[in-house]
Amino acid sequence: MRLIRDTYHPAPYNMALDEAILRSAVPTFRTYSWEPSAVSIGYFQSIEEEVDLVEAERMGVDVVRRITGGGAVFHDRDGEVTYSIVLPYGHPAAGKSAKESYKVLCGGIVEALGILGVDAEFAGINDVVVDGKKISGSAQTRKKWGVLQHGTLLYDLKPELMFSLLRVPSEKIRDKMIANIYERVTSLRHLGLDVSRKEVEDAFAKGFSRVLGENMEPSEPTEEEIEMAERIAEEKYASKEWNFRR
Amino acid sequence: MLQKSGISEGKADYKVPGGKLIRMRVRYSGDVLREVRINGDFFLHPEEALEKLEESLKDRSLKEAVEIIREFCQHVEMAGVSSEDFIKVLKLAVKKDF
Repeated sequence: MRLIRDTYHPAPYNMALDEAILRSAVPTFRTYSWEPSAVSIGYFQSIEEEVDLVEAERMGVDVVRRITGGGAVFHDRDGEVTYSIVLPYGHPAAGKSAKESYKVLCGGIVEALGILGVDAEFAGINDVVVDGKKISGSAQTRKKWGVLQHGTLLYDLKPELMFSLLRVPSEKIRDKMIANIYERVTSLRHLGLDVSRKEVEDAFAKGFSRVLGENMEPSEPTEEEIEMAERIAEEKYASKEWNFRR
Repeated sequence: MLQKSGISEGKADYKVPGGKLIRMRVRYSGDVLREVRINGDFFLHPEEALEKLEESLKDRSLKEAVEIIREFCQHVEMAGVSSEDFIKVLKLAVKKDF
């Protein structure tokens, strides 16, 4: 399996490269980050209902619609590591259903956290939790080419920033959500872990390698994948037509 | 809200206990749906199917809509929501039981 240790990219390119790799359907594990920080929304979400677009613009935060379902995620430049994995349908971890493969693939995150010394567990649907608090969320799509799952691992948490970008029912509830967030969500930093981004990426690669029984071979996207990613970043993920379709 | 044209608008948000959020926006006249928008943070495979469901609910009665939703849900994989959740939100959106 290819291991692509990617760096920082704008949101449209990050989503476009995941899609380009999915279209090539070469088994690939990729880690990446977002610059500028971004909000990604789930395929079925309404951008205007989920994101304060004025605030996002003011703060220079990208907003992008994913091809995967699930909820809105704030991808803080320095607050998380994102992963994506692409598998063709013949691969055992692709499973027969999303439910089946979520369980296997989220096992890779649990394993990665174990390597970092954190006792985590898969909490159903798409979450990985530590002591009942969410530390990682993932989303999957199953297209004709194969399976793509991407997700994040929280490194640090900036609830004030997050809730100024994501729409909440009222100001009163916003304060409450900020105050209560540590009851529901945690991050590596809040668990007292002082690990570098590189260590997290290493743990990810090792964790998924173990769970999938695959060797990870350091690699780069092909020229074709990069060309396709650049094209669909511009034509799709940076377009109003795509991002405002719901 | 009833408008001059006889078309009413309704909306409802429903968080499935232990599951995901469904937001439904509807336009309807009497018992007939004119437009249905379904948003939320759920999972549904294949994703594009939801747009077909929205389209197929157009100009259908509320009773027909229930059958269409149940039939649709048998042919897609969902996580965090069920057919009965979609029906529940539809009832909330049009403020009627049927």
